[in-house]
Amino acid sequence: MAAVWAHILRRSFSSARQLLAAASGEEHQGARMWKILSFVVAVPGVSVCMLNCYLKAQQHSHERPVFVPYDHLCIRNKPFPSGDGKHSFFHNPHANPLPTGWEDAEEH
Amino acid sequence: MAHQAHAYHMVDPSPWPLTGATAALLMTSGLAIWFHFHSLLLLYLGLTLLFLTMVQWWRDIIREGTFQGHHTPPVQKGLRYGMILFITSEVFFFLGFFWAFYHSSLAPTPELGGSWHPTGINPLDPFEVPLLNTAVLLASGVTVTWAHHSLMEGNRKEAIQALTLTIILGVYFTSLQAMEYYEAPFTIADGVYGTTFYVATGFHGLHVIIGSTFLAVCLMRQVQYHFTSEHHFGFEAAAWYWHFVDVVWLFLYVSIYWWGS
Repeated sequence: MAAVWAHILRRSFSSARQLLAAASGEEHQGARMWKILSFVVAVPGVSVCMLNCYLKAQQHSHERPVFVPYDHLCIRNKPFPSGDGKHSFFHNPHANPLPTGWEDAEEH
Repeated sequence: MAHQAHAYHMVDPSPWPLTGATAALLMTSGLAIWFHFHSLLLLYLGLTLLFLTMVQWWRDIIREGTFQGHHTPPVQKGLRYGMILFITSEVFFFLGFFWAFYHSSLAPTPELGGSWHPTGINPLDPFEVPLLNTAVLLASGVTVTWAHHSLMEGNRKEAIQALTLTIILGVYFTSLQAMEYYEAPFTIADGVYGTTFYVATGFHGLHVIIGSTFLAVCLMRQVQYHFTSEHHFGFEAAAWYWHFVDVVWLFLYVSIYWWGS
């Protein structure tokens, strides 16, 4: 977290320095450094995280949890404004139970 | 021929503040009508009027600045103050939602099972898609800085490349979040956990869409030679906004996704 803040602060300081230096015509390597950072750190970093997600997703169990009708969850004090009023906006029948339980009868 | 003896911009009369205010009224009342009477008409009218207002108001600003030369250094300084103040107001907007989150999560009530996350909630794994989203936004912060430096050094082609890459990363973030919203095992109606999660991340996602749009407008302007290496405040404002969106995400990630899991 501290490294992230240091990175952000360094970035804003370097832009300020860049503005001062631009007048005197120096610091032509500014863009080149950020281009290198983009292709050597930023994009590979994203790729590594993508791979990590893919591998972790394969390890997931495909079992659905048992539905427990907790009082503090699945609240329906008034109907939702969209659809039939019983389903949230991003409702997913496989992942989101209704107050009465799972909508479909599938095992998976 | 008349001319002004000062460097400031006396703006011509314009209808867009009025249409914008009307749009705000239509959207707020439209939202209430949708919630209670299930009609979307007022909301749609408001959104249409908002869109038309934004396009025409900002088109006029571009005309005044880029083509008519009204954005002298003092005027630009005022625009900078304006953008900084606006972003500051947005920081306070998000502070409210973080307050709500910490209020509920630091002292979870017995009704929730006395714990955070509440009993029965399966939080998202912070080291799966949320971590990818963090990498995507941090990467976009690097690419937008590359774009800025390219712009300042007069490198037109690289500025376009870097800005395009930044926008692609922004759109990628939005699609990942939309997928997460669909796949999540909890909804907005799952108690205070669901509410704080979706309201905070939802408003953040809206800001990502706004920021990506702002950057896309800058890309179109850069392609059309609006920016010079010395004068490109529209781009700087978009980049500041984008960094703000990135920082809000970092706080969301650490607080809600990581600590809150």
